Amino acid sequence: MRDLRVLEHHHDDDTAMTPPRLIILALSVLMVVGLALAALSFPAGDARLATLAMAALPQSGVLNPVTAVLLNYRGYDTLLEVAVLLLAILGIWAVAPQARIWIRRPDTPVLAAFVQLLLPLMVVVAGYLLWLGADEPGGAFQGGAVLGALGVLWVAAAVWLSNARRGNLLRPLLGIGLAAFITAAVALLLARGSLLEYPSGQAKTIILIIEGAALFSIGATLTLLFVGGFPRRSDAP
Amino acid sequence: MFFDAAFWLPLAIMAPLTTALLLFLLPRRSGLLTVIGAAATIATVFLATLLVIQNGAARHTLGGWGAPLGIDLTADGLTVLMLALTAIVGAAITLYAHGYFTHPVHDATARTRYANFWPLWFFLWAALNALFLSGDVFNLYVTLELVSFAAVALTALAGKPAVLAAAMRYLLVGLLGSLFYLMGVVFLYGGFGVLDIAALGAVVTATPALAAAAALITVGLAMKTALFPLHFWLPPAHANATAPVSALLSALVIKGSFYILLRVWLGVLYPLGETIAPYLLMALGAAALLWGSLQAIRQTRLKLLVAYSTVAQIGYLFLLMPLLLAERNNLVALAGVVCFMLAHATAKASAFLSAGAIQLATGDDRLASLRGLMQIMPAPVAAFAMAGVSLVALPPSGGFVAKWFMLDATLASGYWVVALVIVAGGLMAAVYIMRVLAPLFRQVETVEARRVEHVPLSMNLSAFGLAVLAILLSFTGVYVLEILAIGAPWVTEAGL
Repeated sequence: MRDLRVLEHHHDDDTAMTPPRLIILALSVLMVVGLALAALSFPAGDARLATLAMAALPQSGVLNPVTAVLLNYRGYDTLLEVAVLLLAILGIWAVAPQARIWIRRPDTPVLAAFVQLLLPLMVVVAGYLLWLGADEPGGAFQGGAVLGALGVLWVAAAVWLSNARRGNLLRPLLGIGLAAFITAAVALLLARGSLLEYPSGQAKTIILIIEGAALFSIGATLTLLFVGGFPRRSDAP
Repeated sequence: MFFDAAFWLPLAIMAPLTTALLLFLLPRRSGLLTVIGAAATIATVFLATLLVIQNGAARHTLGGWGAPLGIDLTADGLTVLMLALTAIVGAAITLYAHGYFTHPVHDATARTRYANFWPLWFFLWAALNALFLSGDVFNLYVTLELVSFAAVALTALAGKPAVLAAAMRYLLVGLLGSLFYLMGVVFLYGGFGVLDIAALGAVVTATPALAAAAALITVGLAMKTALFPLHFWLPPAHANATAPVSALLSALVIKGSFYILLRVWLGVLYPLGETIAPYLLMALGAAALLWGSLQAIRQTRLKLLVAYSTVAQIGYLFLLMPLLLAERNNLVALAGVVCFMLAHATAKASAFLSAGAIQLATGDDRLASLRGLMQIMPAPVAAFAMAGVSLVALPPSGGFVAKWFMLDATLASGYWVVALVIVAGGLMAAVYIMRVLAPLFRQVETVEARRVEHVPLSMNLSAFGLAVLAILLSFTGVYVLEILAIGAPWVTEAGL
């Protein structure tokens, strides 16, 4: 209680407009105006890179320019971003190695049954989004978000953990996206002399394989971010 | 293909990245994997370095597209020096960490948490190598994020409440700094339409967009480099982390964001070199040096003292900005800054590692309880003393050579006030280092009454080895000058 009152007290202070805060406000407004003025001075016309990206699209293996940038022209950036996802999980494990998951029997069977119904449907949607990504908006990140949502539902309904016989599937699932990316990158370096340089005609296949693997990792990562900590079975709260 | 440096550039990133992934997948095999991974990383870095020194600057076109559409990795003299520094300091810290994290003083819960050190450290290594090799301002943002996340997670490993608060603040500051940088990149792209550093360097002019980019990038990176007055997050994070992590943060992570600042200013923002900006950075550097040294002198705990010493020494990195930017091509000034990075990384890593060994053995890092430790644990004490020699910049040491170049450059250009600040910084460093060395070397009668934990050979060896290196760097000044001249990072007249 006492702590709460302290917080409240601080909260009152937070709303007061003291002179230092006025100065900070004025400086912030000044900065925004300055940046806006600088942005107005941008040269008109199409950005140079956008033109280049559209021109190279026929060689990229895909029709969606966003996928071409993410997985082909700047695929290396995306490789590092996939590594960031793994780092996020490791960061959570560094703070909270033990899982804090409450496993209890659901009060009604409705939620669990609903999730089990939803499961195949959402997997199909995720796969469809992935396939769509080659030609239209979509891709591994979008599909992975759907899988992540599925995972969260799964954990919330306690289906997954009561069914999880082997927790050691978790690390491979989280790592397979980066593993596929690195394998493709290094294999292509050895074969073609440059990292992630796709052979002409096979770009789409390789992109889909990498994205397919990343799909699972992204889904698993998002679920694990929700769980927080390495999940371990325990039958309490 | 194998005799082309360009082939090895991506492998210097993929080797530690693959190791990190394998360490994540197979946590039980960490002993073997770290040895193989470190060896592979060092080998690729060594080959890339050697080939760049032999054949000149190298460029790898990722995906075969080539800038500006694709991303290029670039390696010149500055790049390979940073890669080699990371490999050497990283190898020593890897060795140290093997002894430190398995030490019996840590309980089982702590050791479970510490197991995450290995994948995190190799992610950090990969991220640093990627950062040093990147030739693209947006890709630099991605590497900056990787470095930050790995560094924050490594900080949090210590697990104490104090360190969690420090890590949280570190995370928020890091994110804010990255976002500032990213917004600066938006202005570069909006104003000039490309992201490749060399391509930008060929088209930039002093427009409002460039000025906005310069302001955002400089503030963001100064925050991440902990330049005074944006240093507030550094002492709690560096002092509360575990010893191997403190060494990594102070020796390498700080250098990463400074390296980007240096690269982007020399290669892209140079049309603003004759504005007030470099002088402002110089002034903040001087303030950092004086303020950080004063704070270091006031500390009563060893690790906080070393952390404030980092706040002070970051100041040196910024003192020569006007020389580097207003008069481009000043190789001596650049050599001063780079030698300083090399000297500081080895000496500060050694100082943190030996402080960590002392803390592990005695369970205490108050300056008052350091008395007489020379008689009990001579190896870490001697390592700290040698590292101190380099931090104070007494001859012969890496710090001495760095300051020699710095004084040479400042006096040649008439910046005698800066020269005075450099000398004053050295004197103040002598004061705070002596505050540690005096109790350590004091003769104590009742020495056998003091029980200390055993410090494994691996820890003593790495702390001592880095200290020896900090001294030996004294003889490398000429080579640093020669290597830096390989594809020097400023835009040459031809590019203008």
